[in-house]
Amino acid sequence: MHHANHFYGHAHVLAEYCGLDPERPPRIEGYVQHGWNVVDGLGAGTPYFPGRPIFVWSEQTRRRAWSMGRRQATVIGAPFLYLLRFAPPAPEPATRAGTIWYPFHGWESQQVKGSHRRLVEEIAATETGPVTFCLYWNEYRNDRVRAEYEKAGRVICHGYRGYLWQDTDTRFLHHQLSELRAHQRVASNRLSSAIFYGVAAGCEPAVYGDPMQLEREDRATAERIRRQWPELHGKRPEPAAARRSALAELGDGYLASPAELRATLGWALDRAAAAA
Amino acid sequence: MIRLIGGEMPGWSEDRPPAGGALYGYLADQLPAGASVLVAGPHEHALVEALAARTAVTCLVRSQPEAERLDARGLDVLCGTLTKLTGADRWDAVVALDGVGRLCSVEGPQYDWAECLRALRNALLPGGILLLTVENELGVHRLVDPAAATAARTDDAWRSLGEFDDSQPGSPARLADRLGAEDLAVDWLGAAWPEPGSPTLIATADALRDGPVDALAAAVASAVASAYTNRMALSDPRRLAAAAVRGGIGPELAAAWLVIAHRAPVPAASLPLPPVLLGDGPVLEVAPGPEGEWVRRVLREVPGRDHAPAGPLPPGRLLEELLLGACLRHDLPAVRGLLAGWMAALPDATPDNVVVAGETFSRLDPSVPARADVLRGFAATLRTGGYAHPWPAATDLRTLTAILHGAAGLPGDIPAMPPGEEPPVLDSRRDHEEQVRSLRRLLADADARAEQYEREIAKRDAELTKARVQIATFSGSFGYRMAKLGYGLARKARQSLRKRT
Repeated sequence: MHHANHFYGHAHVLAEYCGLDPERPPRIEGYVQHGWNVVDGLGAGTPYFPGRPIFVWSEQTRRRAWSMGRRQATVIGAPFLYLLRFAPPAPEPATRAGTIWYPFHGWESQQVKGSHRRLVEEIAATETGPVTFCLYWNEYRNDRVRAEYEKAGRVICHGYRGYLWQDTDTRFLHHQLSELRAHQRVASNRLSSAIFYGVAAGCEPAVYGDPMQLEREDRATAERIRRQWPELHGKRPEPAAARRSALAELGDGYLASPAELRATLGWALDRAAAAA
Repeated sequence: MIRLIGGEMPGWSEDRPPAGGALYGYLADQLPAGASVLVAGPHEHALVEALAARTAVTCLVRSQPEAERLDARGLDVLCGTLTKLTGADRWDAVVALDGVGRLCSVEGPQYDWAECLRALRNALLPGGILLLTVENELGVHRLVDPAAATAARTDDAWRSLGEFDDSQPGSPARLADRLGAEDLAVDWLGAAWPEPGSPTLIATADALRDGPVDALAAAVASAVASAYTNRMALSDPRRLAAAAVRGGIGPELAAAWLVIAHRAPVPAASLPLPPVLLGDGPVLEVAPGPEGEWVRRVLREVPGRDHAPAGPLPPGRLLEELLLGACLRHDLPAVRGLLAGWMAALPDATPDNVVVAGETFSRLDPSVPARADVLRGFAATLRTGGYAHPWPAATDLRTLTAILHGAAGLPGDIPAMPPGEEPPVLDSRRDHEEQVRSLRRLLADADARAEQYEREIAKRDAELTKARVQIATFSGSFGYRMAKLGYGLARKARQSLRKRT
């Protein structure tokens, strides 16, 4: 339906969960929410085909989508939670150490403005264990930005999100899961999908430091996020409350069975066979 | 023997069915043997004959052919209009289960409700008993009726007042007051569904208030449902009736009230009636058992007819309502839990015949036939009823059924749908409105999508043309490409020369 369905290998994860070929996910009859946001679940500028459903992560997002005129929203939960259902379990005993830190990132059309150096200093002053900096591909490919972080710790990137079905790292979420499982804490300067994924993977979350700013960004939204989810902000939020809140945003408890998900996404076996 | 009392209607017959059915039959049979009884208005012959077998019966009818039919069966008949009853004849009991609307003929005064009641009261001996049905003009059957009672065009509707007869009581409390004003003391008053003429469920206000409200609401919904199979309604009467019972106004919105009252002094024997009567053939009562739980007991069997078993009334709320509620709340975990519990416990019971209490799923009436396509039936209810649910984009029955199948945790695919065999759904105008609205939206969406696809194709055609030119330009050997370029330029030059000349 839309190339954003393939971002981060979401369609591939959902296909594998449904028992279909993860290398060739069938076309999804609608739009899958590809990242956490406080609008209708779709990314800005997604062309919306009338009558086609959007598949959102949480009931709260569905309500918001309805209020914005998106009547055909169905809650399926975050693809990352589906990955957790079928991914091999974490190694035992758990060997978690330190913090995985996700600096707020830009993308093709909007770059982040702010001092990475000052952020690194604040992180170093806060974190007690080793820090892994996970940069988004957008910053990772920027040698100058990457160098700022490389001075302070290990720097990684989970892969390329993909664009127009090309160069998608279909195992993006798999990489992210194994990195999250290796860390005690997950942190960022903005509340984001990565924080929620970290919590789902067993990390304690933290959101602190200069939140920086995107080009042409409406700061009111960022402030609204801080007001609505105070339990997820701070250097050491109370883990139980943070976990409850984070799992709710991912749609924990709302995941569909493979059969239900197949029928919902337009992947019923008879239709899939007819399309092939 | 026929006695013509005046105002009789020769050559004219009632064109609507008489009052009757299992519950009215059962009630009439509770009158003490040996009593003299006036059966006023059209009643089913079976009811009259059963009564006549036990006691002395006189019928009062306005239709002369009907009087002759009753006479042929050996019954005593007064034929004429109610206003001609003099008070000289009196009875131990008056049965008016058809109400008072068909007692006056076209001839003579046209009594309103209160005047009819007084005439019936005057026909009772001291201590006499009155069995009277009063239609509720605001009953569920009226509220969902596409036609107005005041617009009736049947042969008996020469004076169709509907709700405009101000003397007719509009609530059970006012009914009791009106009876009291005529020195009639109420012994038993039940609310009746689905229709005044032949109810299949009658419950007292006490039962509806203190009894198992959810289970009774389910029973009322079920009684109403069977009356509206293949019949048009304004809106789904099941929801209205059940919501009224749960909301505490069941009696106020019942189709009719059935009252048993007596004239002073108190009669020697009172009629032993339970809090709830139900049945459309076999008759059952529902009443508190020794341990406080409500129990069904079979009062009357009918050979060859199944009925709900005796024993405790299964507690809980109707599955269909719970499912609809969970869908409206978009509570997916609850919807899945209910679907899975249903499919594990009673996979062949329709959701309007299952009550749920906690984790327990019970069949409300085991005599209702099993169906193999109950999930499809519920999908059809969601669709045609226009209920909001978690999968709004699944607008075709097959997809929605497949989703429900998966959500119930059932393995494999849904069974093939036999062509043309849609599950039965209630036919209501409101549903039609919703379907039209939904089809309009689908059509508008499809139009908008087609436009977007066309724009997309135009864009891609342009890209393809450009790519083809590029491919053609860069394909072949250098000499070939030069020759082709030269040929192309020469052709353009020739064309421009031709245009100038």
